[in-house]
Amino acid sequence: MNIASPITLAAVAVMAPLATFLIIGLIAPLRRSGKPAAWVGILGATTSTVAAALLVVDGRSDILIADWLGAGGKFFASIGFQVDGISASMLLVVSLVAWCVQVFSLGYMSDETPAGLGRYYTWHSLFLFSMNGLVMSPNALQLFLCWELVGLASYLLIGFYFRKPSAGRAAVKAFWITKLADIGLGAGLVALYVLTAKASPDGLGSFDWSPQVAQAIGTGGATVVAGLFFVAVMGKSAQFPLHIWLPDAMEGPTPVSALLHAATMVAAGVYLVVRAYPLFQAAPDVLLFMTYLGAWTAIFAAVIATVQTDIKKVLAYSTCSQLGYMVSGLGAGSLFGGYFHLFTHAGFKALLFLGAGALIHAVHSNELTDMGGLWRKMKLSGTAFILGALALAGVPGLAGFFSKDTILEALHASGQTVPWLMLLLAAGLTAFYMTRVVALALFGKPGHHTEHAHEAPASMLIPVLLLAVTAVGAGYMGGPLAKMVGAEYAFHWSMTGIIATSLGLLGIAAGWAIYGARIVTAEQLAVFAPIGNFIRASAVDRSAAWVYRNAMLGLGSGIAWFDRYVVDGVMNLTAWLAMSGGQQLRTFQSGRAGDYVYAVLVGVVLLVAAGLWNA
Amino acid sequence: MPTSAYLLLGAALFCMGVFGVLTRRNAIGVLIGVELMTNAVNLNLIALSRANGHLTGQAFALFSLALTVAEVIVGLAIVLLLYRSHRSVLTDSAVEMKG
Repeated sequence: MNIASPITLAAVAVMAPLATFLIIGLIAPLRRSGKPAAWVGILGATTSTVAAALLVVDGRSDILIADWLGAGGKFFASIGFQVDGISASMLLVVSLVAWCVQVFSLGYMSDETPAGLGRYYTWHSLFLFSMNGLVMSPNALQLFLCWELVGLASYLLIGFYFRKPSAGRAAVKAFWITKLADIGLGAGLVALYVLTAKASPDGLGSFDWSPQVAQAIGTGGATVVAGLFFVAVMGKSAQFPLHIWLPDAMEGPTPVSALLHAATMVAAGVYLVVRAYPLFQAAPDVLLFMTYLGAWTAIFAAVIATVQTDIKKVLAYSTCSQLGYMVSGLGAGSLFGGYFHLFTHAGFKALLFLGAGALIHAVHSNELTDMGGLWRKMKLSGTAFILGALALAGVPGLAGFFSKDTILEALHASGQTVPWLMLLLAAGLTAFYMTRVVALALFGKPGHHTEHAHEAPASMLIPVLLLAVTAVGAGYMGGPLAKMVGAEYAFHWSMTGIIATSLGLLGIAAGWAIYGARIVTAEQLAVFAPIGNFIRASAVDRSAAWVYRNAMLGLGSGIAWFDRYVVDGVMNLTAWLAMSGGQQLRTFQSGRAGDYVYAVLVGVVLLVAAGLWNA
Repeated sequence: MPTSAYLLLGAALFCMGVFGVLTRRNAIGVLIGVELMTNAVNLNLIALSRANGHLTGQAFALFSLALTVAEVIVGLAIVLLLYRSHRSVLTDSAVEMKG
């Protein structure tokens, strides 16, 4: 196929959402009209998706780099598009999920005012532009810019219901925590530039992440840069202990959670690691840290997910947990494993969120207990949701099974036994909590909320069913995807796979036994109540708040004290000296004209005397 | 007459003017002192002009006279305003600028 050059397609995919953002954003009457603005946004997403699909089919790699930020005839930064297997496939994932979410939002956001709907699609277009720009970045600097834009879009969309105080707080919390982590990316960029400048003969640094750069800066340099980059990854991809913003981000509209806080934006951190992998490979210490931290996040978040009563919170913690898988897999040296899981997870997690959105839309509540028995009312969305849950639980044949298996085998092969066991346990827990959600929401006792529930409209069903196809099929894309990434992949059963599958099936059985068949009574279950309460007490959130209150506010009040008494003190002293000096001097001023004439006369006499003296 | 005689007269006039400005409490008296000082200067200009044999100094003295007239007008206006606001023309009464 030779429709257009890869660079043209990439430019179209990135610029179409920018165009729609500007059109909706700047033409106020269009924005306030609601539905037409939504269609413009969807048109942009469609263009991006088609361009990305053509790019994947085309299969060629290319790179366009334009000089940028010049000084004295030299350019120390560049900007452009890098088209290769990784960026093309990621572009397709992002654009496709964005398309699904934007179409889904037509139905889900139908109660919104026209002006609100226009604002919603403006921010969606901004997000898609930033995310596509991030994906196509040829270097770390452009990625950083788009990374921050993505963060801004996330803030705006989490706080979409800004009249609700909790949504405003959640938006600010997400923004500040990711910004705190982004200091790492900024510092990493500076370190990368300084180190490459030191290593290069002409003294010019670069923001590239190529193997040559990794070689030039050595293991020590790569450890610094990759370590700093990883701090930002922890923030964006919600790794322990910076994951605390993600559950709160569920205050945003559900489709936003599906797009940003499950499928694409939070995967940006993982994507950064994938892109800068040569640097990470040169830093074994960072990789080891990633392996352990990812595994810990995976099991930690999975445990919390088992006790959540809000369907979106369960999925949010599940996202943390799955991102932990990706990070751990990348840490264990499996670039493909981490990326493959990102790829499949984007599909089935977006499906789960949109499915959850359909359920929430039907009962107007996020609580699992308010749903119950929705299966009979919503056969299609229900089936899709169950497919997503099974894919996440790692049932053989569905998407999550293959990618999770790749990561687990990579950990097994790298000899990291402890993280491997943690991830296996997390796999069992994943199956357990997803079964719990399905059992409670779809098959539980119907509440009064479910009486008026009805199947979702077509605009919501089409994206959900499309994503259901990916949840089933994405796992079989492993071979082609591996070829695009430059790795080998062929599925085969192994010890690890058998253990993980058995644990997953055990988790499903246990979840169904407790929440579906109710073999265990509520009284017997109450034995675990203290543990549940402990988990629900959200110790990490509290300690983060404590650190904020004591360390950050303490530091802040210290600086305020310094400002008030030292900086202001110097100012006040100067003012006081001038004042008191003036007080002393004013006694000379008699105000009588004669006295001044005397002074002039004395001055003249003195000047004349001085002139005579010197002559 | 030697030039020194004119200069001596000018110096005497100037000193009288300074004395008048310093000692008079009446604003009009002060103004008269100032006039004496300017005219002493004018006398010097003319005397030295004659001694050096060219007219620049005399021409300058004419301008100076014209300026003095303007100065007196402004000075008298100030005195008039002083009287209006303080009901007196004594310089001691105007001490608003005391620090």
